[in-house]
Amino acid sequence: MSAFKGFSRPRYGVAEVASSTILIMFGLIIVFPLVLPFLFVFKTQLEYAYTPWSFPKSLIWKNFKEAWEAVQIGQGLKNTLGVSLGAIVCTLPPAALAGYVFARYRSKVTEFCFYAILIGYFVPIQMVLIPLFKFNIAVGLTDTLPGLFLPMAAFNIPFWTLIYRSFFQSLPKDLADAARIDGAGHGKVFSQVMLPLATPATMLAFILVFIAAWSDYFLSLIMLNSQALFTMQLRVSQFLNAYGTDRMPRYAAAAIISSAPTVILYIIGHRWIIQGTLMGAIKE
Amino acid sequence: MSNHSQPTIGSAIRKKTEWDRKIFVAACIFPALLFLGLFMYYPIVETFRLSFMKSSGLGPEIFVGLDNYTRLFKDPEFLAGLKNVFAWAFWSIIIQIPLAFYIAFSLTFYVNRFTKPLRIIYYLANVLPSAITAMLGKFIFSPTNGILNSLGTTLGWNWLSDLDFLGNQSLAFWSVFTIATWTYTGFPIIYLMARIEQISKDIKEAAELDGVTGWKYAFYIVLPNLTYPLTILAVLCTIGSLKLFDLPYMMTTGGPGYATVTLGITLYRHGFINWQYGKASAIGVVIFLLSLAFTIIQFSWQHKKGDGQ
Repeated sequence: MSAFKGFSRPRYGVAEVASSTILIMFGLIIVFPLVLPFLFVFKTQLEYAYTPWSFPKSLIWKNFKEAWEAVQIGQGLKNTLGVSLGAIVCTLPPAALAGYVFARYRSKVTEFCFYAILIGYFVPIQMVLIPLFKFNIAVGLTDTLPGLFLPMAAFNIPFWTLIYRSFFQSLPKDLADAARIDGAGHGKVFSQVMLPLATPATMLAFILVFIAAWSDYFLSLIMLNSQALFTMQLRVSQFLNAYGTDRMPRYAAAAIISSAPTVILYIIGHRWIIQGTLMGAIKE
Repeated sequence: MSNHSQPTIGSAIRKKTEWDRKIFVAACIFPALLFLGLFMYYPIVETFRLSFMKSSGLGPEIFVGLDNYTRLFKDPEFLAGLKNVFAWAFWSIIIQIPLAFYIAFSLTFYVNRFTKPLRIIYYLANVLPSAITAMLGKFIFSPTNGILNSLGTTLGWNWLSDLDFLGNQSLAFWSVFTIATWTYTGFPIIYLMARIEQISKDIKEAAELDGVTGWKYAFYIVLPNLTYPLTILAVLCTIGSLKLFDLPYMMTTGGPGYATVTLGITLYRHGFINWQYGKASAIGVVIFLLSLAFTIIQFSWQHKKGDGQ
């Protein structure tokens, strides 16, 4: 390993090679299961039954088409996208507004409201499922997409309020004051000066709320009843229950499609995603 | 505004701007409070109320006092769920956190061309939808066509091909736990990495000068500096276990028997399959009180640490 390193870098020691080898093995353990669906998806059912582990003989796209029809992936994607966008639209504006006020208009009242909202960050959604379900029935939201993304947003708001608050606190105060002196109203200062400056926080919220909503299983399972409204995750698990692992190639196709958006977003935005995840944990 | 000849106008303007400000503040906080009020505060109160009622959603609610709770603590499924959740938390702390520490330490100790890509890969499994993670678990552990069983068949190892990873009372828990370790360990890894990187260069250089390297450095220098993040991780593991639902539900639906039942699964079954709202709400209250207790522990530690610095 160290032979071709030349003189410019110090040689890798035995310990470093050993350590890196172990780490790479762990990395392979993470990646290996993710490669499997691609091994299966291009095979016919028969080919899979006899030679599941070989490389596919040819790239058959049939499984994607069949899976698309069998679980109506088009409809599933549309629902999941609706839920994700709904969650984003209902989470970001309330969180940004509240976070801004908590950062810049501090008073006893706003501090109290801040802690009241922050408490929500620690409430497990499991606790309130029954009343949420009853509430949805009472207001006619059962078995609708808003019935799913409205509570989702409520449970997202505390965290993002916290993040926006600390983001707005980190911005220089002079900017807003200058705009105020120029005669801009409170709302205008927020929407035209402060909010554009908070774009990094907004991007982060957009990505993480999207991924969380896209991946949701538990709340969807409870709030959605009719097949037509099922999200991708519900369809994938339904498919798994119906056929077990027998229809693997088709199933692999559905799995690849349903996880593609989160994986692609992660590959593009891994730096922000990791940073944002840590922000919640490291903020004290 | 400081015009002395017309003080009334000045104060009127001040009053108006004060009102503008108040209205703006209220308008900004209102949407967030509305969402939380409808979908969180009200449901919390309602959960407590329902936990003292006998209710099926239809028909009248009957006040039964603590009956739901006393019946809960005689319910074998709930007790199995409680036991599993704490076993899960215990093993997460024993297995996932040390594993994460090992990986995070090695990854930050030798910084080379693999460090960055590996860090990205380790967290990758964490962003997968749980339905997909559960499916991969079934790929691996399923009795028909599962990877491990077919590997056993191919190699002629009957002991392996005969193992029923998801259907065996004692194995099922570990099969689900293995998949959970695969997907959830990413978070402690990146968290500990960030914490280790915060340890100052001076400390590292001083240790190097004293000849404290490798494992000694890990145990005597890094580990004592991480006691606080490690306890936080232990608390997060415990709270996470209390909420556990997706993976065991999709991989084994809590079975065989009650082998992989969690509090989340019991709540779901009581509430949405048997329609026992009262009992399910009592489970919700138990989950809430336990998470609250651990959150308070976390905050009191945080506070202590703050005092120490």
